[in-house]
Amino acid sequence: MIFDPTPLSADEEALREEVRTFLAETLPDGFRPGLGLGGRHDPEFTRALAERGWVGMAIPTAYGGAGASTVRRFVVIEELLAAGAPIAAHWIAERQSAPAFLRFGTEEQRQWFLPRIAAGECWFSLGMSEPDAGSDLASVRTTATPVEGGWRVSGTKVWTTNAHLNHFAAMLCRTTPQGEGDRHAGLSQLIVDLSADGVHVSPIPLIDGEEHVNEVVLDGVFVPDERVLGEVGQGWAQVTAELAHERSGPDRYLSILGLYRAFLDVHGRHPDAVTAAAVGRVGARLWTIRQLSLAVARSLDQGEAPAVEASLVKDIGTTFEQQVVETLRDAAGGEIDPGGPTMFDKLLAECVLNAPTWTLRGGTTEVLRGIAAKALTRGGR
Amino acid sequence: MSAEVREAVADLLADRVTPGALEAAERDGWAAGVWEPLHAGGFTTVGVPESAGGAGGSVAEACAVLEAAGAAAAPVPVAETGLLAGRLLASAGLALPDGPVTTGTGSVTLSDGTLTGRLARVPWASASSRIAVLADGPDGPVVAVIDPGTTSISAGHNLAGEPRETVDLDGVVPETTAPAPADAREALARRGALARAAQIAGAARRVLAVTVTYTGERVQFGRPVSRFPAVADHLVRIAEQAEMAAMAARSAAVGAGPDGEPADLDVAAAAAVASEAAGLVAAAAHQATGAMGVTREFALGVLTRRLWSWRDEWGGERAWSTRLGHTLAAGGPEALWPTLARGVR
Repeated sequence: MIFDPTPLSADEEALREEVRTFLAETLPDGFRPGLGLGGRHDPEFTRALAERGWVGMAIPTAYGGAGASTVRRFVVIEELLAAGAPIAAHWIAERQSAPAFLRFGTEEQRQWFLPRIAAGECWFSLGMSEPDAGSDLASVRTTATPVEGGWRVSGTKVWTTNAHLNHFAAMLCRTTPQGEGDRHAGLSQLIVDLSADGVHVSPIPLIDGEEHVNEVVLDGVFVPDERVLGEVGQGWAQVTAELAHERSGPDRYLSILGLYRAFLDVHGRHPDAVTAAAVGRVGARLWTIRQLSLAVARSLDQGEAPAVEASLVKDIGTTFEQQVVETLRDAAGGEIDPGGPTMFDKLLAECVLNAPTWTLRGGTTEVLRGIAAKALTRGGR
Repeated sequence: MSAEVREAVADLLADRVTPGALEAAERDGWAAGVWEPLHAGGFTTVGVPESAGGAGGSVAEACAVLEAAGAAAAPVPVAETGLLAGRLLASAGLALPDGPVTTGTGSVTLSDGTLTGRLARVPWASASSRIAVLADGPDGPVVAVIDPGTTSISAGHNLAGEPRETVDLDGVVPETTAPAPADAREALARRGALARAAQIAGAARRVLAVTVTYTGERVQFGRPVSRFPAVADHLVRIAEQAEMAAMAARSAAVGAGPDGEPADLDVAAAAAVASEAAGLVAAAAHQATGAMGVTREFALGVLTRRLWSWRDEWGGERAWSTRLGHTLAAGGPEALWPTLARGVR
């Protein structure tokens, strides 16, 4: 299907203005924007945001959230990402973990975790990838073995962003040894306390020299029964639902907004035609993609489950982000200088080094296109 | 509302724009069997106020007609009669003549009741009952209604074999003239670009359907070629670009509101996106359908030849990107995001 454009209501526009005002007052002058969801980890900022009810917005009021619609949350996170705000502390907890607790969690888990997430005090990392399980998630080898009152978890997780700072991770584990049949069976999600005995976190330095991504070795970590998320054996269905649901948000096209703004800052209000063409090329696509992403959010609020469209929008968005870096680099000319005087110099260097990850995280381009192609050729759309 | 209009036009055209009708239209320069039912149904003047002799309706509804017409590759001047000439005439307080009406761009002046100048690449000029000419008069822009029979027309076509003729207006005396709004020329160019974006969106969507069907039936190495990831990748990219073109065109159209004109920024964005999408969609579809796709008998060519033509009519991606870029730059870095995030109203 093709979506129709959806307008924001007056209420939603008013919320946008509120967030803009908050950001203008909170972020310091000369603030260096983070690259969208790669924004910095800043507990103080997260708590300030939570005080305004903008963390875990979609969590029902009964669990300490705002009970807001997908579109209201869209409006808030779009503004945060556009500003490059330091959202890393609560990002995964609010985007991924809170909806998972709402869908699959026990009442006790909801009452314990959700108010803490909404208060900006409970931070999560993802626990899916392993050294031998990337796109092929079903091949995870981290095992959880039943013991008195719970499970012993052993294995190695990788690419675990901010595991050295966050409190918990929902670890995808094998709870039944892989048999002859369905390789997606026998997987479960266990909530691991990252400060528990047997959890060893060490950084995996990336090509930009940053150390926010980690290897997490789990050495017989005890997880009590009440920290199993959802049903034992249903981990595969749970993680695929999680991934599909959150694919097409503004984090998929706003990594470059700071760079784009800085480019305009360098080139002034009356650029030459070549520069203007680059600015317009980026702007035209950004204008369109955000309308697509907003339409997906609106259709979620209307009770639809546009999983394939969400995959397409993610692919469109992340491919766009990479093209923007190249378009603006080419238009700017000259050498990339990470120590250059302008914000554009610094952000361009950071973007070039980070851009390869944009079409990898949350499902690689190839995996997403595989999912979309299956639906297209089955006539599923 | 737009969805109903799209479906009605799609239904009406489904059995009428046949391969035979398309070949005949290219040969004869006209397709009465396609035009007559569309015109009788009132679809050729959607977006032109009823008071001016049109069917009424918004720019979004007019674009819904054009999306469906584009998907069907309908070889008739629907965009020209309604959204372009029809609204141009209405903006000058003139009534819409019956039959197909067209318009075009060029440097034309009106002085002492006589026109001087020429219009370049006018769609279906000789097949139209009247041409609405935007000319520079002594007191500003004027709209002049002329009978194509009184002009000198030289033949020309676009890649799809649709008439794009040169109309020599030297010495032509218009039937009627009326003062046009000061921004009539820019407004016409905006509607022209938006019309083509909507047509591209429709055609791109149809290219996807044709390509999915063919690659699902064509067997090589013992299986349908769409099962090969490299081929499936083309299908996904066609789907993505079709979504982009449609969302861009629809957003710009909806942004015009129930009775307004589309905004400059919206049209610039939509035209830039749709023009780029046109080339990407055509290239991917031809790669996926192999040698069959480039034959005259296969259903793809009538669509891709239109995509390759329409993307440059009323300005291509560089022209509109540059225009949009100047607008965004003039607003300064702080206004950049709020401007782009304004969305549709």
